Amino acid sequence: MGRKPHKNDSLPGSLDMLILRTLSRRNLHGYGIVQFIQQSSGDELLVEEGSLYPALQRLELNGWIQGDWGVTANNRRARIYKITAAGRKQLAVETGKYAKLTLAIARVMGAE
Amino acid sequence: MTGLWRRLNYWLQSARRAAALREEMELHLAEKAAELEAGGLTPERAQAEARRRFGNVGVKHEESREIWMTRLLPELGQDIRYGWRTMASSKAFTALAVLSLALGIGANTAIYSFMEAILLRSLPVAEPESLVVLNWHSQPPQGASKEWVHVVHGVQGILWPGDKGAMVSGMFPYAAFEALREDNPAFSTLFGYFDGRSSNVAIGGQAISANTEYVTGEYFRGLAVLPVAGRLIEPGDDRAGAAPVAVLSFATSQNRFGGASNALGQRILIDNVAFTVVGVAPPEFFGVDPAASPDLYLPLHTNLLVDSAAAGRMYGDQNFYWIEMMGRLRPGVNLAQAQAALAPRFHQWVAATATTDGERAKLPTLTLNPGAAGLGSLRREYSKPLYVLLAMVGLILAITCANIANLLLARAAARRREMAVRLSLGAGRLRVVRQLLTESVMLASLGGALGVLLAIWGVRSLTYLFGKGQADFTLRAELNWSVLAVTAALSLVCGLLFGLVPAIQSTRPDVMPELKNGRGGEPRRRLQHVLVVAQIAMSFLILFVAGLFVRTLDNLHSVQLGYARENILLFSLNAKQAGHRDPEMTTFYTDLRQRLEAIPGVSGATLSRSSIISSGRAGGAIMGALKIGAVTIDGARVLGAGPGYLTTMQIPLLAGREIDGRDQPGSAPVAVISERLARTYFGTENPVGRRITLPEEKRELEIVGVSANVRSGGLKNEGGNPLTVFVALTQFPADRVTYALRTTGDPLSYVPTVRELVREADPRLPVTNVLTQAAEIDRSISHELTFAKLCSGFAVLALLTACVGLYGTMSYNVARQVGEIGIRMALGAPRGAVVWMVLRRVLVLTAVALAISIPAALGGSRLLKSLLFGIRPTDLGTLVLAGAVLFAAAILAGYLPARRASRIDPLVALRQE
Repeated sequence: MGRKPHKNDSLPGSLDMLILRTLSRRNLHGYGIVQFIQQSSGDELLVEEGSLYPALQRLELNGWIQGDWGVTANNRRARIYKITAAGRKQLAVETGKYAKLTLAIARVMGAE
Repeated sequence: MTGLWRRLNYWLQSARRAAALREEMELHLAEKAAELEAGGLTPERAQAEARRRFGNVGVKHEESREIWMTRLLPELGQDIRYGWRTMASSKAFTALAVLSLALGIGANTAIYSFMEAILLRSLPVAEPESLVVLNWHSQPPQGASKEWVHVVHGVQGILWPGDKGAMVSGMFPYAAFEALREDNPAFSTLFGYFDGRSSNVAIGGQAISANTEYVTGEYFRGLAVLPVAGRLIEPGDDRAGAAPVAVLSFATSQNRFGGASNALGQRILIDNVAFTVVGVAPPEFFGVDPAASPDLYLPLHTNLLVDSAAAGRMYGDQNFYWIEMMGRLRPGVNLAQAQAALAPRFHQWVAATATTDGERAKLPTLTLNPGAAGLGSLRREYSKPLYVLLAMVGLILAITCANIANLLLARAAARRREMAVRLSLGAGRLRVVRQLLTESVMLASLGGALGVLLAIWGVRSLTYLFGKGQADFTLRAELNWSVLAVTAALSLVCGLLFGLVPAIQSTRPDVMPELKNGRGGEPRRRLQHVLVVAQIAMSFLILFVAGLFVRTLDNLHSVQLGYARENILLFSLNAKQAGHRDPEMTTFYTDLRQRLEAIPGVSGATLSRSSIISSGRAGGAIMGALKIGAVTIDGARVLGAGPGYLTTMQIPLLAGREIDGRDQPGSAPVAVISERLARTYFGTENPVGRRITLPEEKRELEIVGVSANVRSGGLKNEGGNPLTVFVALTQFPADRVTYALRTTGDPLSYVPTVRELVREADPRLPVTNVLTQAAEIDRSISHELTFAKLCSGFAVLALLTACVGLYGTMSYNVARQVGEIGIRMALGAPRGAVVWMVLRRVLVLTAVALAISIPAALGGSRLLKSLLFGIRPTDLGTLVLAGAVLFAAAILAGYLPARRASRIDPLVALRQE
């Protein structure tokens, strides 16, 4: 679906995890989430910005995040997302999976 | 399930959510562009770059929205396909369930569409909620002193009882209307009207009887109604001396002129006065009273031309109450504010019309009521019957739902292996419950769809049943969108209601291992029993109420009339409206009577002011009472009758003579009184030759005869036969009279001859209200007839449904107990004992149900008191009868399974084990 390759493709589903992790730190609106991910990854992770929105809807449908109208730092009206209790649980599950996966990959890579 | 809830929530506000998403994306692009711009790009480049990085906005928008939509739909399709297969595989069950639901939902829809039409629907005018109806209420004039003193000297229109014995009415003097209309602070428009009742309307030489409504010049403007052709009545039309104009209802313009535009400019005669048709009202418009449907609207002041004698008093007399009023609130003014502003004004006005202290003591006070739904006459008459009927059909639907829930429980047992397999293969429990619910909602939807068809038929037959009572019946019940929406919601709720418990039961994980061995299901059986008891209890309620109504009808039918019911033909004429005037009119009526009597096969012809069953009360609340000497007679009925009335009606004459040809307008006024009146006021003395005083005219009448007691003025009179006074119609002439012919054979077969004779006598004179005496009497009890018929139908339906439920449950129980019964029989239990074992359970269930519903029935039936006649709402006989019928039905329903149980072959049963 993506038009240009970006690093995020290598881990399917990791966008959800990144969003949850971001929101677990602070409540943000859509653009703020993109900015946060990019900045905190040292601009290593490029989120395809358009894909953020289907992901947000999916998370909301699952009850992991909740969006409400609020005001951004620039005083603009926006839907501000926050993580729910169920979302925190999910984040823990995904973090666990991710840790296992990276460990496994590291083992393979290191088993030369 | 919460995901489903969130989805539902999303759907409900999907338009708003889509807009929100778009706004989010726009904001994103704007912020990105701003950031890029800060990094040194030109605004155009920055925007283009922001879009490029974002990707296709439209596609992402769609993708985001689809997240909420997809996944559920394919699953729903799957569920529906699966549900369809399940339903098709058990056709008998499906047919039974759908049919009984259709009956229940159809009955509810039909009754609800009447409620919607009568109690809920607004007038078809712009902004009906700002309309206000003006009423007054006052203590009745008769105080402790028994003196009839009241500022209201006369009312043309109806009074109805209010709180604490007050009288309430919507009629006002014309001067009050003028006083309130002037500089009204609360209303942008105040308009008045009064019911002109039926008028004689001649269109191109053909006379018809039509309903007229007299309206003030502000009427149509106040209601904000626009004409479909021509113009409507304007203030300029409504003054003495203005050219007489008329506005037709849409239906009249269609029926009489073949179209709205054809009617414009036509000359018509209304009670022999020429009017010009200037406009046609829109098709949906029926005036302000949902109970009426005027055929034409006339400016108020034209009654000076049509009925100058009556109109003189109407405009001049400040104590004569006749005009009804409605107002449209000014924007920003609410009902309470309007009430506060106008009540003192009315009080001030009305206080000035009182002349004595007695009158000042009981001044009417103004009350404003919401007018969105028009006048309340239909609501007052039908709201209680409709609530009773709605309660009954609601109970029937509840019984049906319980029944289907029960059948589904039994079936869930049969499907337990299927459920176990599905659950063990990893289907989520909620997913399975959802699938089962889809099935039950599908059943309910099918039932609902079929129910709508039944309701169409039901509304028609109910309109017919209700309408039998009235000549111009206008219940505008129909299946509109709001009714259909309620039906759809009802079907959905039913489906969930009867589907939920069985669905949850059959997927309970803890019963799974137990189910695998076959037996058990104890909680399920208890649940089944609860459902059966509920069904029986509700059926009993319906049975009891039906019994009360049937007994009421029975009592009404066995009322001793005291006059002939069969072989009498009635019809009405209004010669005054065709241009006749006294004294010629009296001669005309007398001549016509003689000609009618000469019809071969007619053994007697007479006339009276009204039919005997609808004869009016003497005096009434306002006029004062009938008197014999100084003694006041309460509640007597007075009927102006022509020569030979008693003979024609076969009322025995006990003393003196009846009213005959000797009683002429000039001769001494006479009266014939009923036996009970004679006994009450004269004891054993002979009343012939004594005198009686009529309230209206303060005229003394000589009593010339005594008749046997008759049931006049309605069958439902409390306290036996009312006191009746017959007076000579020639001496108390009426504009409108009712003829009665005594015929050999079917009275209705004489109708063409009668019409021909009347047409010969005067072609301008329409014959109205043609019916038999029996039909006229039934018409006076049409509510009771309708109730008895409907409730009997409902009771049969409820009983059948409950019996099916009982039968199903017992059969199922027997099937599950085959092993146990087999053992008992193998150990030597006789067949009778096995039958008794099953029947005992039936009897216990029925007894438990009765124990619950008898107190409920006795408590609830008090609400029906006003609808009953000759029977107390807690009638023991009816209670016992209903109980007996219920037990008989229960035993019948239980006997078949019991017999089957007793035929079980122990060997076969035990081998099965």
